[in-house]
Amino acid sequence: MFRYLPEQASEVAPRIDWLHNLITDISVFFTVVICGAMLYFAFRYRKRDGVDHETPQIRGSNLLEVIWTVVPTIICCYIAYYGVMIYKDMVAFKKDAVVINAVGRQWAWDFEYENGKKTNNEFAVPVGKPVKLILSSTDVLHSFFIPAMRVKKDAVPGMFTSLSFTPVKTGEYTSFCTEYCGKDHSAMLATLKVLPEAEYERWLNDRTDELLAAAMSPVELGKKLYAEKGCNACHSLDGAKIIGPSFLKLYGQERECESGNTFTADEEYLRDSILNPRHEIVKGYPAQLMPVFEGQLDEREVKGLVAFIRSLDGSAPVVEEVAQEEEVAVVDPSTLSPEERGKWIYENKLCITCHTLDGSRLVGPSFKNAYGRQGKLADGSDYEANDEYITESLRNPGAKVVEGYAPAMPPYGAGQLSDDDIAGLIAWMKTVK
Amino acid sequence: MSAHAATAEGENYLNWQKGIWSWITSTDHKRIGLMYLFSLVTFFIIGGMAALVMRLELAQPGAQFLDPNQYNVMFTLHGAIMIFLFIVPGIPAVLGNFLLPLMIGAQDVAFPRLNLMSYYVYLLGAVMALIALLNPIDTGWTFYAPYSMQTATGVTLMTAAAFVLGFSSILTGLNFIVTVHKLRCPGMTWHRMPVFVWATYATAVIQTLATPVVGMTLVLLLVERYFGIGVFDPKLGGDPVLFEHLFWFYSHPVVYIMVLPAFGIVGEIIPVFSRKPLFGYHMVCYATLGIAVVGFLVWAHHMFVAGISDGSAMYFSIITFGVAIPTAIKVFNWVSTMYKGSISLTTPMLYAMAFVFLFMIAGTTGIYLATLAVDVFYHDTYFVVAHFHYTIQGGAVIGLIAGLHFWFPKITGKMYNEHVSKVAFLLVFVGFNLTFLPQFVLGMEGMPRRYFDYLPQFAPMHELSTIGAFINGFGYTFALVNLLWSWAFGKRKAEKNPYDSLSLEWKCDSPPIHLNFETVPTVDDYPYAYGTPVEGGGH
Repeated sequence: MFRYLPEQASEVAPRIDWLHNLITDISVFFTVVICGAMLYFAFRYRKRDGVDHETPQIRGSNLLEVIWTVVPTIICCYIAYYGVMIYKDMVAFKKDAVVINAVGRQWAWDFEYENGKKTNNEFAVPVGKPVKLILSSTDVLHSFFIPAMRVKKDAVPGMFTSLSFTPVKTGEYTSFCTEYCGKDHSAMLATLKVLPEAEYERWLNDRTDELLAAAMSPVELGKKLYAEKGCNACHSLDGAKIIGPSFLKLYGQERECESGNTFTADEEYLRDSILNPRHEIVKGYPAQLMPVFEGQLDEREVKGLVAFIRSLDGSAPVVEEVAQEEEVAVVDPSTLSPEERGKWIYENKLCITCHTLDGSRLVGPSFKNAYGRQGKLADGSDYEANDEYITESLRNPGAKVVEGYAPAMPPYGAGQLSDDDIAGLIAWMKTVK
Repeated sequence: MSAHAATAEGENYLNWQKGIWSWITSTDHKRIGLMYLFSLVTFFIIGGMAALVMRLELAQPGAQFLDPNQYNVMFTLHGAIMIFLFIVPGIPAVLGNFLLPLMIGAQDVAFPRLNLMSYYVYLLGAVMALIALLNPIDTGWTFYAPYSMQTATGVTLMTAAAFVLGFSSILTGLNFIVTVHKLRCPGMTWHRMPVFVWATYATAVIQTLATPVVGMTLVLLLVERYFGIGVFDPKLGGDPVLFEHLFWFYSHPVVYIMVLPAFGIVGEIIPVFSRKPLFGYHMVCYATLGIAVVGFLVWAHHMFVAGISDGSAMYFSIITFGVAIPTAIKVFNWVSTMYKGSISLTTPMLYAMAFVFLFMIAGTTGIYLATLAVDVFYHDTYFVVAHFHYTIQGGAVIGLIAGLHFWFPKITGKMYNEHVSKVAFLLVFVGFNLTFLPQFVLGMEGMPRRYFDYLPQFAPMHELSTIGAFINGFGYTFALVNLLWSWAFGKRKAEKNPYDSLSLEWKCDSPPIHLNFETVPTVDDYPYAYGTPVEGGGH
């Protein structure tokens, strides 16, 4: 009864859950017995016809008092003992642990590995090996919580704390900040990737992203981020209005906002619009749609994006260049199996910018368990995500938008996706669980 | 104490002096209790509104109509108002003031003028808190450093308000302690006192001993802020964990200030409507004191993952189980009281029974949180939010409402509308459970608290919780309007003792005269000797 705990992805999780479920069973048992007795008495001994019947003056019973003092004491000792013993194992020192520094700041996590590799809001560990996170904070209290691993510890400025776990399952897991830390406390999530040993080694030693990013000019960095962070889902480079304003010739324009204020799209305006987009919305564009990037981008990255937008003055054909880069893939998708072809399309036709595979929501619904999903459309009618529905959603996405989502997806005509492409995509989506 | 001059026919504490001035300068414990009642209800409504705004924002994932900052201000407003202005003064200030002297056969509390001063100190603190909160503050009601040092300057004022409110609490506690020691009527031995008096007494002890820590914390905050001496802020060499220790050293015992008096109320209601003695009276009284004492020793169970040593985490986990046992004893005794009784399901009795059920859930979910390895998972999730609301709303607030219905005839001299109050009860009960049961599930799924936005997987339970919150709020409104309407326009006058209770407060008029009793009462047994004496019925 009442088994809602998340999946067990660490060595200690089954033991914690055993104790947890034991407490649940004991609690339910006593609640049912005591409240059942109360209701039974209320019925059995109810006052009838508005007249009190005779009652015995029973003031108490020493025997009963002893019983219901001793029995709960024994149960409590048993639970407390196992609570402490399991905790001891959770915090025990493990010699061969992978040690990672995790630094909390408002509102992001920075990770640093022993070989110097640095990541932001995402970190990887090898499956089956003990992991120790050394936590600290540069500003206020934070707390690092990975539900699937059953671990949590506060990150306290001015001291080191740590948490340990041994992952036993590969996969992606979300971590939450669980100590209130100000405005974007609820957005301070990070992703933990548990990888097979060899893949982890490759990941750990792959520093190309960092090195490339460090060597890039601001404009190049901005261009890279434009694709990586999903700006391209809503902001075109060719003047077309997708959801947000196009970046083409944006820099230096006068923008009139919903508030009535007018801004020149200069460095400061762009910076503010990236970090706190809900501040001032340009007239005619939807509010609340763009994600907040405060804490997601560092100073250099913001400068890069601003420089990139400034560079789009129409003098150079950036559009083709970016488009070409995406077409560079040497793979010929028609040679792949349907599932592989679907996955290739997902990664290369921009589906990935709006649809996740882990159940989280970006612009569009996640593909996790999407095939066969049933629900309501924006117009209130029902839908089931079968072959027909998915095909129509690709060809003419505006027709049947799922309730709660913006009609933001671009249509994919036969020129962009063949019928075989779509068949592959559907075959692959069935495998995304 | 000698009997005073006979009172004119129809004269009572409500009408013996007239005019607003006679109220705001009154040293009558009953009038002061009512002044507290109206202040508290006002703050309960404001705090409740803030809760509904939060629930509305959380009804669906993503931003609805607030931005994160506004949401953070909203939960701070809700927490701080409900805790400091409503439920900490709570039952002792309202029903404690009204009933304590009546129940022990006294004319008033020991220091009536000090009692009036406590009220005005409370009012001053409340005004300071409101000014601070409207600044606005977004730290949560816990004011954890160093975030609270960096954000709005209102935090110092808010701590100052807590300090002033603390004084009101200390003075009331002191007054009650002396009253219980010195003003009991002839024959009223310690073991003949009603359990509500025991509970109020134990509460008063906690108020007097725990509250001064707030004052210390404030001084340290001021020293840090204005003299730059590092106490809590790591930038100055201070330790934020120290703030958590000081905060919980006060704020954990405060939980018992909120809920112990509610235990007392339930202990009064069940025997009367079961026509049976309170089962195990002595154990119930000692359990009350036991909870008060153990409550001082467990504060760091709020800090298992805060960076305290593993050794202290283990110690605080084990000691915390010490609270479970006296609490369990109480529940067993309440239910046993109903055995072979003659039970009337009046509104107060329904609330008392609901209290037992809700407190079972509150207590058993407390076991998870006391268990060290399990609390690591649950700390700062919705499980804690739900557990806390089951203890404080399901416990203290339901207890207060049960008491307000139970003593309504004594306070007002009128009877309330029983049908309407039962409908209101049903709404409150269903709404409350619908609000907070889903929050246990959210906690199990790993949903952290104080989140403006959440992942889609948490959406269904949030939606249920929001629906429940509005039913709950509607139920409270209904109950409140029913009581006010019955008081103002109700036709049914209350008898002196409408429930045939044996407790002293029912021996005086409804409503009581200014100095409570025409002649000094005497007692020769405890107030629960209902039913026919039987062999082997216990002492």
